[in-house]
Amino acid sequence: MSSVESVPPPNLVAPPRRRGRRSSLRSWRRGDQLIFVLAWTAGVALCLITASIIVFLAVKGVAYLSPKLLVTSPSAAVNQAQSGGFLDPIVGTVTLAVIGTLIATPLAVISAIWVVEYGRPRWLVGIVETSIELIAGTPDIVIAIFGLALFQLGILAPLSFRSTGGGVYGRSFLAAGIMMSLLALPLTYTATRNGLRAIPRHMREASYALGKTRITTIRRVLLPSLRPHVATGAVLGMGRIIGDTAIVVVLLGATLQNSPENGVPLLGFLRGTGSTLSSYIYDNSPAGEGNAPQKAYAAVFVLVLIIVALNAIVGRVSRIGVHASAGTGRLSR
Amino acid sequence: MSGARAVLERLRKPWSDNRAERMLGAVACLTALSIVAMVVFVAQRAWPTFSHDGLSWLGSGGNLDNQIGAMVSTPANPPASAFVFHAWPLIYGTLLTAVFAVVLGLAASILTAIFIVDFAPPAVRRLMTPVIRLLASIPSVVFGLIGVLVLVPFVGNDLIGAGQKASVANVIQLTGAGLLVSVVILTVMITPIMTALITDALGSVPRSWHEGAVALGLNPLRATIAVSIRAIRPAIISAAALATARAVGEAIMLSMVSGGVSFTPKFQDGVIFLFEPLRTLAEEIVQQSEGLSAPALRSSIYSIALLLLFSGFMLSIASRLARMPLRKYELSS
Amino acid sequence: MRKPRRRLIAALAVTAALLLPALAYAATTTISMSGATASFPLIELLTHKYTQIKKGHVKFKVSQGGATVGIQDAATGKVNIGDSSRPPASTDPTGLFFYPIAKYFVCVVTNPANPISNLSAAQVAQIFTGKVRNWSQVSGATATGTIDVYTRTSVAGVLTTFQNTLLGGAKVSSVASQQASEGLMQNAVSKDPNAIGFLSDYFALAKGINAVGYNGVGCSVANVVSSSYPGFSDFYEVTKGKASGQVEVFINWIQHSPVAKKIIETSWIPLNP
Repeated sequence: MSSVESVPPPNLVAPPRRRGRRSSLRSWRRGDQLIFVLAWTAGVALCLITASIIVFLAVKGVAYLSPKLLVTSPSAAVNQAQSGGFLDPIVGTVTLAVIGTLIATPLAVISAIWVVEYGRPRWLVGIVETSIELIAGTPDIVIAIFGLALFQLGILAPLSFRSTGGGVYGRSFLAAGIMMSLLALPLTYTATRNGLRAIPRHMREASYALGKTRITTIRRVLLPSLRPHVATGAVLGMGRIIGDTAIVVVLLGATLQNSPENGVPLLGFLRGTGSTLSSYIYDNSPAGEGNAPQKAYAAVFVLVLIIVALNAIVGRVSRIGVHASAGTGRLSR
Repeated sequence: MSGARAVLERLRKPWSDNRAERMLGAVACLTALSIVAMVVFVAQRAWPTFSHDGLSWLGSGGNLDNQIGAMVSTPANPPASAFVFHAWPLIYGTLLTAVFAVVLGLAASILTAIFIVDFAPPAVRRLMTPVIRLLASIPSVVFGLIGVLVLVPFVGNDLIGAGQKASVANVIQLTGAGLLVSVVILTVMITPIMTALITDALGSVPRSWHEGAVALGLNPLRATIAVSIRAIRPAIISAAALATARAVGEAIMLSMVSGGVSFTPKFQDGVIFLFEPLRTLAEEIVQQSEGLSAPALRSSIYSIALLLLFSGFMLSIASRLARMPLRKYELSS
Repeated sequence: MRKPRRRLIAALAVTAALLLPALAYAATTTISMSGATASFPLIELLTHKYTQIKKGHVKFKVSQGGATVGIQDAATGKVNIGDSSRPPASTDPTGLFFYPIAKYFVCVVTNPANPISNLSAAQVAQIFTGKVRNWSQVSGATATGTIDVYTRTSVAGVLTTFQNTLLGGAKVSSVASQQASEGLMQNAVSKDPNAIGFLSDYFALAKGINAVGYNGVGCSVANVVSSSYPGFSDFYEVTKGKASGQVEVFINWIQHSPVAKKIIETSWIPLNP
């Protein structure tokens, strides 16, 4: 119907995305209006709940936190209300995070590289991917109880402590740390795998064209570009480890102060028992016997601060990673 | 010494691709091995209970606390009667809390996802990502602390009337720790995970699909529901499976707020049903993790762990099966 | 020197530096213990003092879990010594030796907002077996409403002592809410105005909780020494087979040394006055 020559020229610049005149709310059906209200309620409620949790913890934490608590060890008495701080739990948390991440990160990176770069036989790849997915879905309490069964084997006595009656104690920093690595593994694996898939093909092809083998390509070309993804995954895993309580309660021996096993400086500490911030909080809550809710609030404040810091690091690192590996990426060091 | 030096030299030379593939594959298979080891260890220790009880393990019968009490004092070679264990109250408690929490959480997260993608002003939308990530990374022990120090006294003192307490006085004691607090906190714990996944998926639906629906005359909300939500059904299913796995495996938070009595809350009690205490499978493992020397108790606890492990596997398989017919709607991987 | 060998020597040097203190260190013995939560405060004090006296050559690992758990752990060899707050029972494994170290007693406790000074034996039996469920039926109580009864889990030795001495052998009703340790019981009773429970003396005589007399006799050390208060028992150290080596030295020290006796006297009753 319209004449041909009045076709307007194509608009090459996309118009800015504007809401435009949205359909008036009043014209909607009742059900849709209800859902609209509910959606707003849900979104606002989520923000409000988070805000109230953070504010509540901050208020209580600041009320009870004093710098002295951060540098004194817990008192030896069962009742924690009187004296003592939580230096040992902080040391314990850091130790477990370090051990768990140190074990999980190489395992996850190597697995991801093998799955994406090599990936044969295919049935084996399926098994590995399914296993990691299953590990991600396993409750932490089952991992803890498996750890107890594993580390009470006679062979693994050097990792904890053997009582003269012949029974292996099975609880130590090493035991808990190794099991914690299972928690961090899926997160680091997923981040690394996504990072590998995001690297454009031409980088690998350029390296092959220069005559490099696949393993050299991986080592010199891909790994440097993976750094931000591995870092993101490692920090995510660290956050998960720091927040976990079940494995600590079962596998760390529940002594308030870190008690090393024998005289050897580092190995004795790792073979010994102790506590972390999360088990300290659990013990000082009404579910445990410390009977010191104020200390629990203070410890929660420190723990949430650490987690907020880790979240900020993840946000920062993943944004840097997106900028760095976008476009051409980098060859070699 | 020269032999050692030769080995070191060989390791420093660039690896052949075959050797690298085998080495990396071996490490990747370690992860698969850990899941297999988990199943083997847990099943081996759980076997005595199943061989004595068979399927009646899943049923109800007798006071569970008494059965566990009897198990702790058994000698080294316990008679068959010592293994009697009917876990139904625990299974029922786990199902109650998990199902309620997942249903409520799914509704809340879909609504929140719609809010974030469609209705939120840009500033609020930018705010929601860190908020959700923060809420998702708060450890369960912190939720448990808030629950036991704030919510449980509130429910126990302000919501439950003295008359209600008296009406069930001959069977159970209502202290505020029970179904209501457990479900509320569990919902708050699993909603952020689901919201993040569903929002991601909703945002990756091509905008043109939505605009096509609006062009046909639907209002924007109905277009979202009819088109986008339908399109991301696989993501919703996997989010629900992930959240269910988390809810079923939650031990620490529930051990603080669920009341810790192996009692089956009854619907016919009316409003009091919400206040009745219960106990879940994962909680039981945490509570009994110290007394594992008694063989009967040890195999009962490991049998609970085996059940949790299998439920995790089943959820994984079920979510894959449920997503298969929806594969034709899949957008991108 | 080529790089690999230099790194090797450096690694060997670091390892030697770490191990040297271990070689120079005289052998330490570690004694592991587990069991009763009622005796835990006493054991903590005793083990600390003993470690000081032995200048660190003997170390301890103490965990809890309840008297029966301690007995089971000792029987299976998981720990060297089990702490028990009850005498041996017929259901215990054979081959165990029980060494008494101190006497303790059990008090019925209520919340400070409900300061009952005394309950008769009949009243205690009725409340704890669930026959009386409301505070209005208990004379002398200021609380109103349902009685919240708290008890211990079945692994507790204090539960056995309480049932045998103050309840006449009856069992606590299944209505009662079970607490896993003395500390948890103390928390529960001190936070619930309608609560009633029972605690060993270290926890019952602390601030923030009301200890109730029994049949007109107050719950105190003096009354137990004079044998007018019936609710007492002994703490035992349990070993598999006769105690030997450092374990035997430790138990002997607790039973006979005047230093240990002074520690016991702070909150408990020594066996050799």
